[in-house]
Amino acid sequence: MHGTIDSLYRYPVKGLTPEPLDRVALEAGRAFPADRLFALAKPTGAYDAENFVPLSKREYFVLLNTDRLAGLAARYDPENRTMRVTVQGHPVLEADFGTAEGRAEFVELYARVADLPDGVRPVLAEQPGYNFTDNANDGPRMMNTISLINRASIRDLEQRIGRELDPLRFRANVYLEGLEPWAERQWIGRELRLGGSGGSGGVTVRVVEETERCAATEVDPTTARRDVPVVRLLHENYGHEIMGVFAEVLSGGELAVGDTVSVGDEEAA
Amino acid sequence: MSDDETVVVSARRMLTADVCEFELRRADGALFEPAEPGAHITVHTPSGEARSYSLTADVSDRSRRVIAVRRDENGRGGSRSMVDEVHDGDTLVISPARNAFELVEAPSYLLVAAGIGITPIRAMLIELLRRGVTDVRLVYLSRSRDETPYLEEMEEMEEIAELIEPTAAGAERSITLHHRTLHGALDWWPLLETPGERHLYVCGPEPLQNELRALTMHWRPSRVHMEDFAGVSAFGEISLPFEVDWQPTGARIPVTSDQTMLAALEGAGIDVDSSCGSGTCGTCRLRLVEGEADHRDVVLTESERVHFVMPCVSRALSDRLVVAPSAVAPQ
Repeated sequence: MHGTIDSLYRYPVKGLTPEPLDRVALEAGRAFPADRLFALAKPTGAYDAENFVPLSKREYFVLLNTDRLAGLAARYDPENRTMRVTVQGHPVLEADFGTAEGRAEFVELYARVADLPDGVRPVLAEQPGYNFTDNANDGPRMMNTISLINRASIRDLEQRIGRELDPLRFRANVYLEGLEPWAERQWIGRELRLGGSGGSGGVTVRVVEETERCAATEVDPTTARRDVPVVRLLHENYGHEIMGVFAEVLSGGELAVGDTVSVGDEEAA
Repeated sequence: MSDDETVVVSARRMLTADVCEFELRRADGALFEPAEPGAHITVHTPSGEARSYSLTADVSDRSRRVIAVRRDENGRGGSRSMVDEVHDGDTLVISPARNAFELVEAPSYLLVAAGIGITPIRAMLIELLRRGVTDVRLVYLSRSRDETPYLEEMEEMEEIAELIEPTAAGAERSITLHHRTLHGALDWWPLLETPGERHLYVCGPEPLQNELRALTMHWRPSRVHMEDFAGVSAFGEISLPFEVDWQPTGARIPVTSDQTMLAALEGAGIDVDSSCGSGTCGTCRLRLVEGEADHRDVVLTESERVHFVMPCVSRALSDRLVVAPSAVAPQ
């Protein structure tokens, strides 16, 4: 079965908006680069920068609890460590994450967005070598996976519920086109070959787990409104709450939008 | 409804070609209950349809209720019957005033009205000027001068506002009348870029509300006010406030209509493990000690629902629920 890479995204701050990429270089055994590098931790919660342990997503400001996060477009430049935030294209913040002032301005903005009491701000969480994916709670192996979505499965759900769903509700790194709906449910333990047709080498990944969805998917990424009970509709239509898979990178290389995707033979996990 | 009152139309006047103002007084000559700016009444119109209209004059004058009705040619007939059939001296039945658009105390206000949306905003402006608030800005949008209810009054206030000396730096009292056919689209960003301590009140059609909501994502949501269907969840379910008692400590926690029981418990410092937030995974299950739950999850069986509740989606049918961690075996 063959498909193509429809789009590539990273989410530099957990819970904040996606950044589209034309291409990305993946390394074996590593997560998507600059993905969930930061998180906005709850100020009175369990996050302790000095004695960090992986925490539940409830300990962070995320779409699950703060739908308005989707209403501000956040763009991070890992080279210069600068964060630009815009509202409907208008700049509202340009912060240098290399300075304490820049980081303070950033959390001040999101304190307003989350409507925290005066003087209370989120904590900008960053831990060397760690990314704040929900998977990171299941150990380093799962933390270093990438997420994939089959767009045909979203379309199948759209048809069943009679509503359009922005694929970005599911916040994956790699979106695939040209496959049968729900083909990915047969992929656990199998290898996928992504790219490589243009001589760029491509990437081999092994699918390790399906993605159980949460109420973050209820928020429309454009309007920032909680409008469709996606998890419940998955449950009612399919008897599961799954959309997408996680895969580990076996051999690194470059991926680009438009690259082909082929699914290897079934093999043991 | 038993609270409804019979009123007499003591005056009516056309404000524009299709907007009519009605002044209503109680048939028994008594005063109305106090009302707040932003409040509305429901009118039983001659067509048989019940319609809600915002109060639009000085609400501190309890001898009358004033509303303005735009005749909607393509509506179901409620507004048409008001403008075409209700005359001076006629009687109507109206509900008590209810407020879903509360004017909060703030140092600074930006009021935005479009067309007939001026009605509650005018009541707010009158109240704010009476209170002596110095930093108030009104932006009033309409298609043309002819289609602007209260045009002359607003133009007079526009002139008066300019004469008032601002008391604080940056404070201003101003009224901007913006007629789309004359001035084109309004550039909102200069008004919204720096929220400061300002509160924004918007009354207008849904596209305007959506535009301004999108342009104020960097504001505190508690400072952006739009009249909407409060208490109806995104998924069309009615959500009323209730109370939850946390049995281990006896803490009593209010759950507002726009908040989940789980969020209220977490907000009170109670640690409830949770995951999906949509009533499907079962992680946040609590023991239901007392009260009648409105179960909205898809994980609990009918028999489990007697003893357990999922606070991420479920609410209360009774005024109060008493809950406890589910690890404690049900008695």
